Amino acid sequence: MKKTTKYALGLGIVLSAALIFVAADHIDAPGTAGTTADIADYFAFEPSENSDNTTFIVDLQSDVLPELAYGTFDEDVLVEINIDTDDDLIEDVVIQAIARDGRMYFFGPVTPSTTGLTSQVAVDSPLGDVEISGSSAIVETTANGVSLFAGPRQDPFFFDFFRYNEVVAPSVDDNAGFNNPGMDTFDGANTMSIVVEIPNSLIGETTAVNVLGIPVYKTWITTNTKQ
Amino acid sequence: MKLNNIKYLLAALTLTVIVVSCSDDETEMPEEMVMATCDDGMMNGDETGIDCGGSCAPCEVMSMDPDFSGTFAQADYMGRPGINTVLSSSAVKDMHNQSIPSTMGAMLQPGFEAQLEAYHDAYALALGLTVEDVDFQPNILGDILNGPDDDGFTNNPVSATVLTTVLSTDVLEVAPNLPTTYFNPGSGAPNYEGAVGLTGRKLQDDVIDVSLILLFGGGDGARFNGEGGLPLLVTDGVGLTADNITATFPYIGAPE
Repeated sequence: MKKTTKYALGLGIVLSAALIFVAADHIDAPGTAGTTADIADYFAFEPSENSDNTTFIVDLQSDVLPELAYGTFDEDVLVEINIDTDDDLIEDVVIQAIARDGRMYFFGPVTPSTTGLTSQVAVDSPLGDVEISGSSAIVETTANGVSLFAGPRQDPFFFDFFRYNEVVAPSVDDNAGFNNPGMDTFDGANTMSIVVEIPNSLIGETTAVNVLGIPVYKTWITTNTKQ
Repeated sequence: MKLNNIKYLLAALTLTVIVVSCSDDETEMPEEMVMATCDDGMMNGDETGIDCGGSCAPCEVMSMDPDFSGTFAQADYMGRPGINTVLSSSAVKDMHNQSIPSTMGAMLQPGFEAQLEAYHDAYALALGLTVEDVDFQPNILGDILNGPDDDGFTNNPVSATVLTTVLSTDVLEVAPNLPTTYFNPGSGAPNYEGAVGLTGRKLQDDVIDVSLILLFGGGDGARFNGEGGLPLLVTDGVGLTADNITATFPYIGAPE
């Protein structure tokens, strides 16, 4: 039985097996739930108006439920930010991060040696490295204007997860949907964050567009475990 | 340095060598102690390090660089928030994490559409209706993209198939040269003035409410609004906790 299921049942919530997984990507699937490679969340944004930078935030692990892996970056887990710049849904450049001995090392942006389900660290394209923070943020800014961070942070995601589990399994006795106001399950939870802010010029131009015709990077993140 | 000083220095060095030599000669060292070996724990003989180099085994090159070698295989995957959690059935949650965006659309779309309809069916039954009574209705994206229809909701192109086709290619689009908004319907139905979105995801974006509105909001974004005997399915009623975020890099608040 999944740990998350036991916890939910302990609270008296009867769940079907399909409904035990947490958004945004926290604990999302049986194979990675609660492991050191479990992606919790992902953000990508322009940090301030008219900025020529893009900020990527990758959150790994979570302490939102008990008994989950939380608190240490696994040196056998490679994080990859994949960026498609020509609309073929294949990564044209990647930014990588992997921990070694208390520091987080970043590589790229670089055309990956292989695309798809396997990766190698792009050791010939170091971006920089930063000491992994404790509760105070340690930030490294490289000569080419890249800011780097890795360490524990508050989990910024907000979601009434416990009510959601009930909402998606309605009954004649409980068919009212969400509560308003609800209860933010993630208030007080922490996550292991990796943050990169990088000039767009280092990523390059994009010809990909969204459904509104706006030029975009098409991005996704993966965790990858050493074989 | 003056020439005389150099001469004195050379003389002193020479003298030192002689003295050292004499000292060696006069001390009767056991033979085994003066023979350099490759396991005596000292750098001697022609060694270039302790018991290595020269006529001994080569010294190991000590590298200060961490070892990043090896092959890494994909374990977890994320594009848009909540997609795998909400729209993948349990059977395909791991498959989603083991796929790549160029092929996941075709693989995941039928299951996503079935899951979306299953949510509507579940509410139909919970409300004492039949599954035929409650189906997905085309959402506000259609009116935003095409302009409002005279009668509100017909001819809206964003059917369950269209919506799940878009969502099943699970990538987060981020515009490098525009402010970031996950989705904002502007003035709302029917004209949606100022509607913007699909340019990335900020920490402040209420991605759950956006997702709920697109899945359950119908043509005006407020279909299942908790009124008139209908369930509340277009908001989970929670927002950002203020101290979760900071104005400056790294933008997320210190851990609790």
